[in-house]
Amino acid sequence: MFEFLFKYPTPVFTKGKLVLLGAWPGWVLLLLIVTAMVGLGVLIWRAMPAASPRLRSWRALAVWSLQALLVTLILILLWQPAMTVAELKSQQNIIAVLVDDSRSMAIADSGTDKRQTREAEAVKALEGRAGEANRGILAGLERRFQTRVYRMDRGVARIPRAQDLQPTAAATHLNDALKQVVQETADLPVGAIVLLSDGAENTGGIEVDTLNALRNRRLPVHTIGFGKEQASHDVEMDGATVGAKAMANSRMKASVSFHQRGYSGGRTALTVRDGDKLLASRDVALGPDGVMQTETIFFNAGAAGVKTIRFSLNPLPREESIVNNETSRIVNVTDDRRRILYVEGEPRWEYKFIRRAADDDKGLQIVSMLRTTENKIYRQGIGDPKELQDGFPVKAEDLFQYDGIILGSVEAGYFTPKQQELLREFVDRRGGGLLFLGGRFALADGGWAASSLADLIPSFLPNGRGSFHRDPATAQLTPAGMESVVTRLVDDPAKNADRWKKLPYMMDYQDAGTPKPGATVLAELNAGRSRLPLLVTESYGRGRTAVMATSGTWRWQMSSALGDPSHDLFWQQMLRWLGGESPGHVVASASSERLLDDDRLHLTATVRDRQFELAPDAQVVAHVIGPQGDSAIVDLTPVANTPGTFEANWSAEKTGAYVADVSAHRGQGAAGDDLGHDLLAFERTDGIAEGFHTDQNRELLQKLSSETGGRYWSFDDLARLPADISYSEAGISVRDTKELWNMPIVFLVMLGLLSGQWLLRRTWGVI
Amino acid sequence: MKVVQGMIVAVVAVACCTGLFAYQRTADWGYQPEQSNVKAEFAWSRLSYTSNAGNRGYGYGYGRWASWQRDYPKADRQFLIALNRLTRVQGRPTEQIVNLDSDEIFNYPWVYAVQVQTWSFTDEEARRLREYLLKGGFLMVDDFHGTADWENFMNGMRQVFPDRPVEDLENKDEIFHVLYDMDDRFQVPGEQYIRTGRTYEKDGYVAKWRAIRDDHGRIVVAICHNMHLGDAWEWADDPEYPEQFASMAFRVGLNYVVYGMTH
Repeated sequence: MFEFLFKYPTPVFTKGKLVLLGAWPGWVLLLLIVTAMVGLGVLIWRAMPAASPRLRSWRALAVWSLQALLVTLILILLWQPAMTVAELKSQQNIIAVLVDDSRSMAIADSGTDKRQTREAEAVKALEGRAGEANRGILAGLERRFQTRVYRMDRGVARIPRAQDLQPTAAATHLNDALKQVVQETADLPVGAIVLLSDGAENTGGIEVDTLNALRNRRLPVHTIGFGKEQASHDVEMDGATVGAKAMANSRMKASVSFHQRGYSGGRTALTVRDGDKLLASRDVALGPDGVMQTETIFFNAGAAGVKTIRFSLNPLPREESIVNNETSRIVNVTDDRRRILYVEGEPRWEYKFIRRAADDDKGLQIVSMLRTTENKIYRQGIGDPKELQDGFPVKAEDLFQYDGIILGSVEAGYFTPKQQELLREFVDRRGGGLLFLGGRFALADGGWAASSLADLIPSFLPNGRGSFHRDPATAQLTPAGMESVVTRLVDDPAKNADRWKKLPYMMDYQDAGTPKPGATVLAELNAGRSRLPLLVTESYGRGRTAVMATSGTWRWQMSSALGDPSHDLFWQQMLRWLGGESPGHVVASASSERLLDDDRLHLTATVRDRQFELAPDAQVVAHVIGPQGDSAIVDLTPVANTPGTFEANWSAEKTGAYVADVSAHRGQGAAGDDLGHDLLAFERTDGIAEGFHTDQNRELLQKLSSETGGRYWSFDDLARLPADISYSEAGISVRDTKELWNMPIVFLVMLGLLSGQWLLRRTWGVI
Repeated sequence: MKVVQGMIVAVVAVACCTGLFAYQRTADWGYQPEQSNVKAEFAWSRLSYTSNAGNRGYGYGYGRWASWQRDYPKADRQFLIALNRLTRVQGRPTEQIVNLDSDEIFNYPWVYAVQVQTWSFTDEEARRLREYLLKGGFLMVDDFHGTADWENFMNGMRQVFPDRPVEDLENKDEIFHVLYDMDDRFQVPGEQYIRTGRTYEKDGYVAKWRAIRDDHGRIVVAICHNMHLGDAWEWADDPEYPEQFASMAFRVGLNYVVYGMTH
């Protein structure tokens, strides 16, 4: 219909440019249009007094409008309007046809006929259906162009016939394939690209560079989508967020995201496994169709080592694909001991019982200095006799060897201004954790509210003293605490909250004031009728700080049944939170911990010296050990304008798990200084990604075609593709002029305007 | 009538003399059942236990003298004065009596017991004391002397810990260095030293510094055998009682309290 009315196909109008072929300039046309409209208006105005009364209203304006439009149209036609559009020259251009042959194209969306795969549909689209030879788009294209058919997965490769396609490739890299086509056909007259795919791009999307390369050559990409846009029965993992590093036997928290279709309101089990060993499992209720839901699950990191942690959802009846029910993450579990410095201003039970809790955790070591008398400091857990011999450290390198610090019942004034500044730097620059405990010399009662470190405390402390009370108080979790790994005594959040309510009362409590914006209250205390923050945490600089506004949790140990783990478990988790995430001198990261059908890896390392100042003059090397014991040495080079940061690109050629030991040193030879090292684990897996996002990614295909001047084609419209594709500026093209005056729509509009104004005048009694 | 009056006077006189004698022998300030309301971090707790029938002081002794009360409460309060003066421990100025018949003892993780050769436990009491010690409690025992007392003490202790060994502490043990370095220890006698000049009682000629440890090697029961530290605290203000004994007793007690609060 469009072509009947407008004489030309849509691309002429969408891609062409409107021009006026008439010899007279355009301003004359504009002047004449205005003159004609004014003239018509004057005529109607003058005739108004003698006109029928019915016409002395808006009706006169309607008649004038129709007449003015008619005159305007006639005047425009006199100026000979036309569209100029680039059109590929016949038989001189190549059309590149890219057909996705990845595994996802082997899916039979109908579910009943396994022969009706997406790949089979694509071949039919190209070659025509059985008994309809030469009716496919290839035949249509070949009437005017040369065609080259490519199979496309990680790259592209030319194939003689579309029937030869086998959907077995492990990955789809649309971006790489398009980039390769652009490069390989740089000196060929390619007029357009036709891309047949389900859009299941495994590397994340089309890069801007690729789009720019296509635009520079004015090369339109016409996309043809295959596959259902929504599965009817499927559960698919969207991702899992879990720390890349963990301390041995630490409690880990993972956030697992997934969506489903067809099972809304159903239930399944979410499991965590290390190899075949089940680490955790929990029942989950499935949310609405197509809506991503995130569930939290806790598990034990286990012994030290690089582990592939698998998160999976149990398959459901009639599920279309179960490959996408599982995802995995690499976790580097280390048995490094975290050293926590505990400064206590007076002997008290909390000190003893925190130390005892840490004694049972091989991942923790508390080094403590306790003021037993006014002039004596009792040290425990020291590494050598000189450690803390002179009291609290006054040098950064001495203090920064610890991963976390606990300040007990000790006044702010006990620390010199320099030591207070070191404490700030410990959190801010070194990235350590700082915990303030309640006590008669702690928090507001210890003068911390007025100290230079007040901004480190995650709450606004009350003014004055008298905030510490030796009265019973019970604890209860906040919603944030129910989800926190620090306060997790029982895996089930509701049971955990209940467990906290049943903990024995604490012997004392302290008013920690009001939590600061950005701080998180994990637990509150009930003291009489008051409810006050008990455990408050926040991030500060590179580190983290917390307040535990009591010194009476030791009753959780003494007044619970023998063997009850609550007290020790809480403090072990608290101390692991405090020191477990403190970075070392070298912090290495990879562009991705999972290389899905990809070998490219970008390594980055940030290096700091003993004072945790950035070390731009360091030499950084990564020793990579891969599958089958393959090893490689990779030099990391400084990143411009980012002091202390080093990078390298590397290729993981084999599938499997890799470990990179990134080390940094300064200076040469024996005089050199080892700054530290960091272990990094990553994994290359091939073929997994194709099992995910198996629905047709129409959005990606549409965006690709619209960004390049092409069009997304549905299967039913394909017959017009060979004709429409010729309007392209790429390849060898000529600019054609299409006159518009003789379009049927023009005459129909003229006729409509003329008869319309006559009919109105007749109706209103003018004639 | 005169006979009756004479008898009354005689009874009163005997009672007064007996009371005076008792006061002189124990310097007892009298039993004070009220517990202190002062709130502090550390409460000196004295274990009130059931004595076996063969010994003097059967029962908890409410209203009468019992073996667990030896030197009570002056020794306790003298020691608390020293504790508050010499350390940063916030000690309650008065003592706390605890027993093994209720869970109240779990609120006091440090407990002192004397005359432990007379103690005896029911199964429930032994279980409670065992749990108390394994959960983090600390027990210091004092004022029992000689072989027979040791055996009687161990009879009770084996009810609590049937298998845990008792070991002799060495000078290098942390409990002797946590506050004061106490490599040169000596036997601390009771008040009887003033009259007899003997540092020992019964056949307890040599002071024994012993302990029972938990699975982590931490001392949970500190045993002061063949010495009488409590008397030394109690009589520390007596000009006739030698200063070196009192000083040693205080240092031992302070070390044991600080050890109990740190390990």
